[in-house]
Amino acid sequence: MTSWIDVFRAQLFASVCWYRNNKWMIFSSFVWPYLMVGFLVGLGSLSGSIENYAERIGVSNPLFFLLSSTVIAMSSLLIVFSVTRFALENRWLGTLPYILLSPVRTTVIFIASGLPDAIITPTITVASIVPAALYLEGLAGGLKILAVLAIVLFGMMPLVGFSVLVGSALLFLREESNIADVIAPLVLLVSGIYYPLEILPEVLQLVGLALPTTYVVEAAKLISAYLTPETRLLLTPVYVLTALTFGYNLIASLVIDKAERAVKRKGVL
Amino acid sequence: MAKAIEVERLVKRYISFLRRGLFRREKVLVEALKGVSFDVNYGEVFGLLGPNGAGKTTTVKILSTLLIPDEGRARVAGFDVVESPSMVRKHIGVTLTVEKGFFWKLTGRENLSYFGMLRGLKGLQLRRRVDELMKMLGLDSLGASDKFYEEYSLGMRARLSLARALLTDPPVLILDEPTLGLDPSSARYIRKLLLKFAREDGKAILLTTHNMFEAEVICDRVAIIDKGRIIAIGTVQELKKAVARRVVINITASSSPIELKLLEAKFMENVTGEVSLRLDEQGKLRIRVVSKIGEEELHLSEVVKLLSSLGVRVNRVELEEPSLEDVFVALTHRRGSGVDQLDRRI
Repeated sequence: MTSWIDVFRAQLFASVCWYRNNKWMIFSSFVWPYLMVGFLVGLGSLSGSIENYAERIGVSNPLFFLLSSTVIAMSSLLIVFSVTRFALENRWLGTLPYILLSPVRTTVIFIASGLPDAIITPTITVASIVPAALYLEGLAGGLKILAVLAIVLFGMMPLVGFSVLVGSALLFLREESNIADVIAPLVLLVSGIYYPLEILPEVLQLVGLALPTTYVVEAAKLISAYLTPETRLLLTPVYVLTALTFGYNLIASLVIDKAERAVKRKGVL
Repeated sequence: MAKAIEVERLVKRYISFLRRGLFRREKVLVEALKGVSFDVNYGEVFGLLGPNGAGKTTTVKILSTLLIPDEGRARVAGFDVVESPSMVRKHIGVTLTVEKGFFWKLTGRENLSYFGMLRGLKGLQLRRRVDELMKMLGLDSLGASDKFYEEYSLGMRARLSLARALLTDPPVLILDEPTLGLDPSSARYIRKLLLKFAREDGKAILLTTHNMFEAEVICDRVAIIDKGRIIAIGTVQELKKAVARRVVINITASSSPIELKLLEAKFMENVTGEVSLRLDEQGKLRIRVVSKIGEEELHLSEVVKLLSSLGVRVNRVELEEPSLEDVFVALTHRRGSGVDQLDRRI
C-alpha cells in the first residue's frame, strides 16, 4: 500500500539526485546570502553608516542581523516556492500527470512532495551562514543560527498549507507564468523582514498578521538580534504559528479535494 | 472473465476560449466525447484510432483518472474511474507523451527509481525491477541507464516511458501514441514487446495511434473515433469488409497463347467483371479483375474457366484488400472530419 512516506521518500530521492547532479546549485546556495548582504550594505552605506543603521534598528551586530534576516527571508520564500511551484514546474516538465498517478490521495502527493525541498533548501541556506555566524559572534552565533533554522522549519508547517492553497489556485487558473514569483516579494514586504511591520499601511499590516512568515521573522529576529531574548516575547510567535499551522492546513485539506475535482473536470492536467 | 476496460456512453465537455482581438475572448463549449462506448479484454491489444482532436487523448485521460467525465461510466480492472481512482491507478500503467514527462537532470535509472517509489516500490525490490526493465526495454544495451534524460534520443525516451508504465507490472496498459516519432527499428521493438505483453502475460493494452500500419499489425480490435464518437469498431478484417465496396483479384498466369488484344476480346466476352490484362517483364500474364462485393467468386470462376479452355496455367491468385488506412479515410471522410476538410482545401 502506497503511503505519504513513499511519496516523501521519492521526492527526497529526486531532490538529492538533483543536487548531486547539479553541484553548482549547492555552491550558489552557499554564496547567495553573502552576495545579498554585500548588496544591502553597499546600498545602505549610501544613506548612512552601518553603525547608524544598527542604532536605528536596535541590534548589537548589524552584519549578523542582516545575514540572518536574509536567510530567514530566503528560507521562507524557498518553502513557499517548493510547494507552490511543485504543481507548475511538474506541469511544465510533463511529469505532473505521472506523479498524480501514484495510488494515493492528491492532497498527500501535494504536501508530501513539497516537504523534502521545503526542508533541504532552507537547511542549505541557513548552513551557509554558519561560518559567518561563528566568525562574527563565536559559538553563541552558531547556536543562534541553529535556533533560527529550528524556527524556520517550525514556521514551515503553516507555510505548507498556505502554499498548497496558492499552488492549487494557480493550477486551477491554468496560469503558466508563476504568480508565486509575484506573491513571494509581497509576502516578504508585509512580513517585516527588513523593517518593522508598524510602518506599513493598516491594510497591509492586517495581511501581514495573517501570514505565517511574519511570526517566523519575528521569532528569528528575536533570537538573532539579542543574546538572550525574553521567553515571553518568543512564545507569542510560537503560539500564533501553532494556531496558523492548524488553520492553514485544515483549510488546505478541505479545499484541495474540491480543487482536485475542479481541476480534473476542467481538464488542466 | 471480467473485462479489463469497460466504457459506457462517456461524455466530456470543455470550455475553451477563442481570442477575438487584443483583449476579447469568446467562450466556446467543446464536446470532446459524445457518448463513447467500448470494452477491452485481458490479453487483447485494442487500438483507438482517430484524426487529431477526435477525442482519443481525452478518453485515455479519463481512463487514467486524470480527467473526470461529465456523463457516462468507465471501469478499469473492475474499478470505477470516478469512485475508486486510487484502485484504478494501482492497476494501470500509462504513457501520455513519449517525448517528455521525466526530470531532465536525472538519469534514466534515477527517473525510474523515483516513479517506482511513488508507486510504493522500495529497497531491493525497486532496484531489481528497475534493472529488469532497463534490460527488457534495451536501455542497458544502448548505454542509456546512467545517462541524463536530457541526452536521450526520442527512441530511448519512448522506451523509458514504457518502462515507467511497467514498473508495477500492471494488468492494464493505457498508451497514448507509444511509438510516435520513433525510427522504424525502435517502433518495431516496442510493437514486439506490446504483443508479448498481451499474448504471453495476458495484459490488456489500449493504445491510441495515427499509424495505421501499426494498428493493422498489432491490434486485435480497433475503434475509429471521430468528433467524439466511435464510428466503427471491430477487428481490422471486419472493418475492411464493412467499408469495402469492391474486391480486386490479381491473377498471375503462364504466358498468353494468343495475342494480348485477342485475349482481351475473349475476356470481354466471357467475364462479367471489370478486367485489365498485361504481360510483365518475364512474359507472364497479369490479370486484374475488379468485382462488386459478393460477385468476386463468380468472376474468379469465369476467369479460371476461360484460362483453362485456352490452356493457360494459373500460377497465383491474390485478393487485394483495402488497407486500414483506406478504411480510416473512408469512414472519417464520410463524416467530414477536420483532416478531410483540410485535405479538400489543399
